[in-house]
Amino acid sequence: MPQAQPRTGRPKIAALATVCYQHSHAQHILDRFLWGYGWGPRHHVPPMDLVSLYVDQPGDGAFSRERAAEFPLLKEYPSVREALTLGGDKLAVDGVLLIGEHGRYPFNQKGQKLYPRYEWFQEIVSVYRDSGRTAPVFNDKHLSWNWEWAREMVDTAREMDFALMAGSSLPWVPRVPAVDLPLGAEVEEVMCVGEGRFDHIDFHSLETIQCMVERRRGGETGVVSVKAIRGKAILDAMNAGSWDAGGWDPQLFEACLCRSLTLASAREGFSHIYPEVEEIPESLTGVPFAYRIEYADGLKATVLHLALLVGDTTFAARLKGRRDPLSTLIYTQPRTLCNFFSAQVNAIEKVFLTGKAPHPVERTLLTTGLTAAGVESLWRGQKRIETPHLDVRYQPPPQSLFRRT
Amino acid sequence: MEFTRRDFIKLTCSGALAGPHALSGRLAAQPGAPERKKIAIVSTVWRPLSRAQHIGDRFIVGYPRDGKWHRPAMDVTSIFVDQKPQDDLSSKRAEEFGIRVYPTVAGALCCGGDELAVDAVVVIGDGGDYPRNEKGQVLYPRYEFFQQVLDVFEKSGRGVPVFNESHLSHSFEKASTMVAASKRLGFPLLAGSSLPVTYRLPSSDMPLGCPIEEALMVAVGDTGAVGDAFEALQCMVERRKGGETGVKAVQLIEGDEVWKAGDEGRWSWALLEAALARSDILYGLSSVDSRTQDLVRNGELPRVVKDPAAYLIEYTDGLRGVLLRLNGAVGDYTFAARVKGQSELESVQFLVPRTFSGALSPSRADFACLARKIEEMIETGRAPYPVERALIAGGIFERCLDSGVQGHKRLETPELAVRYRAPAEPQFCRT
Repeated sequence: MPQAQPRTGRPKIAALATVCYQHSHAQHILDRFLWGYGWGPRHHVPPMDLVSLYVDQPGDGAFSRERAAEFPLLKEYPSVREALTLGGDKLAVDGVLLIGEHGRYPFNQKGQKLYPRYEWFQEIVSVYRDSGRTAPVFNDKHLSWNWEWAREMVDTAREMDFALMAGSSLPWVPRVPAVDLPLGAEVEEVMCVGEGRFDHIDFHSLETIQCMVERRRGGETGVVSVKAIRGKAILDAMNAGSWDAGGWDPQLFEACLCRSLTLASAREGFSHIYPEVEEIPESLTGVPFAYRIEYADGLKATVLHLALLVGDTTFAARLKGRRDPLSTLIYTQPRTLCNFFSAQVNAIEKVFLTGKAPHPVERTLLTTGLTAAGVESLWRGQKRIETPHLDVRYQPPPQSLFRRT
Repeated sequence: MEFTRRDFIKLTCSGALAGPHALSGRLAAQPGAPERKKIAIVSTVWRPLSRAQHIGDRFIVGYPRDGKWHRPAMDVTSIFVDQKPQDDLSSKRAEEFGIRVYPTVAGALCCGGDELAVDAVVVIGDGGDYPRNEKGQVLYPRYEFFQQVLDVFEKSGRGVPVFNESHLSHSFEKASTMVAASKRLGFPLLAGSSLPVTYRLPSSDMPLGCPIEEALMVAVGDTGAVGDAFEALQCMVERRKGGETGVKAVQLIEGDEVWKAGDEGRWSWALLEAALARSDILYGLSSVDSRTQDLVRNGELPRVVKDPAAYLIEYTDGLRGVLLRLNGAVGDYTFAARVKGQSELESVQFLVPRTFSGALSPSRADFACLARKIEEMIETGRAPYPVERALIAGGIFERCLDSGVQGHKRLETPELAVRYRAPAEPQFCRT
């Protein structure tokens, strides 16, 4: 049952959200801290207290008011600083959730939505400096729309020595089948097929790719170029038959569609049929777009977004010396509960309890840079963008982190 | 719109996107290739989203398997459908794929001749307009179809593998004679639904030979769907120490008695928590504002489940099983068990794919997992798991319904002394 007084020894958590309403990221993450969630064979309630909430665009505020009414420990504050200090002078919480997703924010000329993640991070850091103390931070999705700012966030966390966890829920969810890229595998080419809109859903597919390929031989050594293709150019790419010819390995595409649990039927009268392309109606493809990514060590990656042809995210990899691709579905549960947030929240709890991030934040940093470079390439007329700044190097955690319990 | 239909067609004509199942090769035997097996499909009805479509189509156009679009090296040569509603698909399939629809089961099996002329029979007695009995069971003519299959086998002096979708029959007695006939004539018989073989979350099975003390299954849906869930329960508990040795008594309780029975320890709230912790679809307050819920402790269950039912099962070896029907509270199929000497409870979800909106995914890839098992039997001539699973699961369900119409009293079930061993290797889809 909800407590009225904080229990001693339990970490206190602050949440900063752009909005908080039903089906927002903030709701799904905060509700798991408040109500708990199914984890393993029990209903797990995080051993910590969500005590403060700042909502930048509260709307009518009904949702957060309802939650605060159910959970007397949770109080809303009018600023980032006050949420962190609980209205006092110094940092008064042991962990911070920064959820800058959804809400009415301006777009820049490239079409990126200017969420205030960096700005809030600066305010958090300012409280840390004034208090002579830090606390772990979780940043939902990419660090910032701006690469330089993202880089600075990572550098600041390192300098001040606090744990920074960031990213999408997709690296954490169950996989069907439950496989990971073998650690140290030699990987030649990978593909991720998903639904998607750029700078929004595409971050999820890019991080799906990144959490897999970082496990390849040599670890991550960075990305040298990104090229977006869109609309008609996708047809040429599909036609090409290989990466070198401007497309991708057709077996990877087939593997991805075969792992989808929501492949739409391209032929009337059939419920599950491999799509002969002449049968696919435009209503299922929309305006497809893809990112072609060249890594510094020669690995090639394609992220392909096919609107409604699939309603989920799948991954396939060509491993050296293996006849068939490795492939899997990144399983995101239905909308009612959005349980794909559960595994990510479980990982966030561990960061708050241990002060250690589960994987190098460089994964999300690189994905942030890939997202921005993809948008840049689209904006520059699908031009190939050289990315010397993305020489991000890191080693993955040796253990698989996706949900298997 | 930059991407036109004409572009797609051009692309296809180039062949680059013809995909892994260009249909031109169908039925065209390669010189020197082994002869392709012939399948007859016997179905109550073949219409969009019917099980005949979810299974039958896969033997015609293929299905995903291990990350590839797999086309079985066998051909559906004949179809029998008992009912042809307006949206019947059997004629369309026949026309497009060179299959013949026959007016009788025997005709389909003999391809119009006098003798058995196929290498396997797939019986799908689900869907269509059939009466219900007083217990609420739909009287699908699975037994009657099977008898007609048997007639052909007997006249032809040989049998071939038979798959029967879901329970063998609404009647345990009829189901028993079906199993006995397959043993007498010596042909493989596989039966069941997609639940035991679909993907699981997490991807795990009960350890073979583990001492299970208590097991609980959560099911939802109408009588047919709940019936299938007994087989999911059974595929887990059959792996226990000593194997399956049968059921000695059952009882169906309904209404508020169900919650009282939990409080009295006749089923376990802890196991229910373990099962529901695997659920990805909760209703009630979650439908209102998408919150997560601890349904075991928040008091909502009696409010949201309008017609709860507990099907209590006493196995001969002392195992206690229960299937809880929780319509209104959850939308998926979950299982939990307590293993002796193990502090952590076992639990899984049987994955029935849904779209993001929560509707059943029309592609129903759980039936791809089932098609794979059917194909395996046809290829090898051996059923990958014992038909006794479907036999006892159907029997338990039917006897529970008997309990319901007999004043919800406990019924002794000496006839359910069904003994068998589970295959050592897990049979659900993991790859």
